[in-house]
Amino acid sequence: MNQETAMSKLRLRNVAKHFIAPRTGQLTTAVTDVNLDIETGEFVCIVGPSGCGKSTVLNLIAGLDTPTSGTIEANGAPIVAPGADRGVMFQDYALMPWMSVHDNIGFGLNYGTPGEGLTREQREKRIRHFVDLVRLNGSEKKYPHQLSGGMRQRVALARLLANGPDILLMDEPLGALDSQTRLILQVELLRIWGETAPREQRKTAIFITHDIEEAVFLGDRVVVMSTHPGRVKAIIPVDLPRPRSEHIRADPRFGQLSDEIWDLIRDEAYRAIDGTEAPAGPKATAVEKVE
Amino acid sequence: MTTRTAAAPNRTHWNSVLEATLVPALLVFAWQLWAMTLATDPRSPSPTHVATTFVDLVSNGGLIGATLQSLGRVVVGFGLALVCGVVLGLLMGSNRRIRDIFDPIVESFRPIAPMAILPVAILWFGTGTPAALSIVTYAAFFPLLVNTVHGVSRVDRKLVLAAMTMGVPRARILARVILPAALPSIMLGSRLAMGVAWTAIIAAELGVGAKSGGGGSGGIGQMMFVFYAYSIDLNAIVVCMIVVGVVALLIDRLFRFVEYRLMPWRH
Repeated sequence: MNQETAMSKLRLRNVAKHFIAPRTGQLTTAVTDVNLDIETGEFVCIVGPSGCGKSTVLNLIAGLDTPTSGTIEANGAPIVAPGADRGVMFQDYALMPWMSVHDNIGFGLNYGTPGEGLTREQREKRIRHFVDLVRLNGSEKKYPHQLSGGMRQRVALARLLANGPDILLMDEPLGALDSQTRLILQVELLRIWGETAPREQRKTAIFITHDIEEAVFLGDRVVVMSTHPGRVKAIIPVDLPRPRSEHIRADPRFGQLSDEIWDLIRDEAYRAIDGTEAPAGPKATAVEKVE
Repeated sequence: MTTRTAAAPNRTHWNSVLEATLVPALLVFAWQLWAMTLATDPRSPSPTHVATTFVDLVSNGGLIGATLQSLGRVVVGFGLALVCGVVLGLLMGSNRRIRDIFDPIVESFRPIAPMAILPVAILWFGTGTPAALSIVTYAAFFPLLVNTVHGVSRVDRKLVLAAMTMGVPRARILARVILPAALPSIMLGSRLAMGVAWTAIIAAELGVGAKSGGGGSGGIGQMMFVFYAYSIDLNAIVVCMIVVGVVALLIDRLFRFVEYRLMPWRH
């Protein structure tokens, strides 16, 4: 193992995942040939049309599923099971409906490995800290069903961070929100991730989205995936400066990157809608973006 | 404006009380009318006779004691069924292998009515509390088991996965995620189970009483049997019927209250 690869936080080598349909016995390939190296403190976004296996990749890294072939390593050790070092934020948040905001945020601390060796006071203090961080003061006693989508998303984020994971795995966490809330929470997410901190102090993050501009806004790199079978089509480095503000969307480079990524997915995106071909035309002109 | 908002809940409260009592009051009135005019048998029960019999039965102590005895058996039997049903239900619901092992036995016993095991219960346990208790437990067990299994199998899988990614051990996931997530189903099962338990205890005591010739079971069911087989006192039987009905209603209301307290997130 050479010096360079040994430094990777996460290493995926020739990863493939096949599923066998329970009744028909039909074999489907969810993803194949996935090779990816993610460095410490990096924010990597994965985009692609539905059915490209984005969530499969995330589940494999989380250890919720095992690859059919290939290897996945975190800090040089193979991933065999879920662990609190890789925190997951689910698409629909997966909050416990019978628990208050406070108890949901403290779930991992109170019942899982992240709370081991901590006293009750230490755990409480930590919960308080993350309640403050996601600005949910005053809502600690509420139940998830009493919260707006944006607030639930913050609870999920606070729960994720309170467990102190090494790697953050986020599966379309902002997907269910209205576009304004989404823009605000994107900025907030970068703040909490540690955009202003030096790179080695940041968390390593993998963020799945179907929103290209969201991926460009958040990521250091954007992994573009394609379908049939799911595979990595391209990896686009995002050379926009950090910290980023909402105004970076006005930067011409932002538009260029978004267009570049859109060109990589547009054919499949059109096919996914109704089987029609994408309208022919010069690349990177104003293709109607249905956002 | 203020007077209207203050008066409104009061009026609706009285309206609902009126609505709830209207039909029973009419029925009692019609019954009294029938007893005073059309009924030919002097032993025919009437509301006034039932009321005096009720006072008699309460004051000589028999009714309350018998009711409490039946209720005690129901509570103990229900408790046993609750523990067995929920524990087995959690295991069956969360583990396919365990479900495959137990499912055939459960499904073949489930259609057998509680009263059908009465002969076996009497043979094994005699005519006292153990026999009645075994029937109540048997009756209450199945609604609890079936609803727990159903509730567990419908738990949002994402919640379990989320707990796994937070390093929560398997046994604790069962207690801290699956059990509370299945609680609404378990509560539904409990209410159904309590209903059938109360029905089964009366039937069991009646049946055991018949077998022993008024010997030893005790409880309100046996009291009814004695009034039926020995003194042919229809008024007393009607008193017992009403007590059974009212107790069932109270149990149901108690369960709704418990449900409300146990699951504040559902309201």
